[in-house]
Amino acid sequence: MSASVSRATATSLLAERLSSEVVVSNLGQATLELQRRAHRPLNCYTFGSMGQCSSIGLGIALARPDVRVICLDGDGSLLMNLGSLCTIATTAPRNYALLIWDNEVHQTTGGQPTATAARSSLAGIARGAGVEKALEVRTEDELRGAYDRLFAEDGPFVVAVKTEKGRAEGTLDRDVVGHTRSFIQALAALPPQPARR
Amino acid sequence: MADANWSKHMADVLRRNGIRLFATVPDYIVTQVLEHLWSDSQCRVVTVCREEEGLGLLSGAFMAGRRGALIMQNSGLGNCVNTLGSLNVASQIPVVLVMSHRGDLGEFNPAQVPVGQAAKRILEALDIRSLMPRSIADLEAQADGLITLGYTRSLPVAFILPAELTGGKLG
Repeated sequence: MSASVSRATATSLLAERLSSEVVVSNLGQATLELQRRAHRPLNCYTFGSMGQCSSIGLGIALARPDVRVICLDGDGSLLMNLGSLCTIATTAPRNYALLIWDNEVHQTTGGQPTATAARSSLAGIARGAGVEKALEVRTEDELRGAYDRLFAEDGPFVVAVKTEKGRAEGTLDRDVVGHTRSFIQALAALPPQPARR
Repeated sequence: MADANWSKHMADVLRRNGIRLFATVPDYIVTQVLEHLWSDSQCRVVTVCREEEGLGLLSGAFMAGRRGALIMQNSGLGNCVNTLGSLNVASQIPVVLVMSHRGDLGEFNPAQVPVGQAAKRILEALDIRSLMPRSIADLEAQADGLITLGYTRSLPVAFILPAELTGGKLG
């Protein structure tokens, strides 16, 4: 069995580093974990439109090039929208990072295996799409190293984080319209961010 | 006989309503609109791989303060249905849809017909207001109002561009 990190740990380690970043989370486990571990106004939770997390984040990154945008996708969801990796490579926003909580199953629907449980590598697909900074990490140390890079270097980054199977605890706060409105207001209120480096 | 200026009117309607970001999967007809946008340094056009990806992108951009339009063929509407419902309608995120209408008058490709005939009803089923302007005068009379309504409701709106307006695609 290859090494992996828990989604809870990966989320908490990210949360420690957050200040003015936008975080976009995928429906189901990624959103639930983010709500539990790091609820904040600059989180953009999604609750449906499976596959669109990376695209929503890309739109935010293109519209606010001064703000770093970090997407928390799932392997099953990204597999639905692999073309997004090509669009990320083509538009190449420097302020964009896509993290994938890759536990190799459709967790929310009962743990059915995805293509990454067999032969497919999302980091490999991202490299093929033209994303140069495409990584796969399997341990907490490797994850910390990836976070160091994506908070210091220009993107775009795609990081497949091999995570443990299992559902997040608790239940989603599904105030879909309310969360959307408060995120829009929080981002509008965020003043232009100084250029990095 | 369609007036070849229709595409500039369509592009101008979008631009004068503050839309500068566009996502597209092009077709023969809407490329005539895209030509005006590609040549405008104020506009950014992102070619996506699948239309619903464009919806995600434009929805993110709207949440970050920018208006956007998705330029496509009506077959792309078929590719967008779940995201239109579970993202744009559910979260009340407006977007302007601009689609050529294949599969109606003059259509030569049987594969275009089913979704072409269903397009208006797909939009109605999602409670998305649409217009099908049949002339430049029609377009100019109603287009600003439709876009205003979309942002007032905070929901998607759609332009379905029929062959009477665009000249269609002749094989």
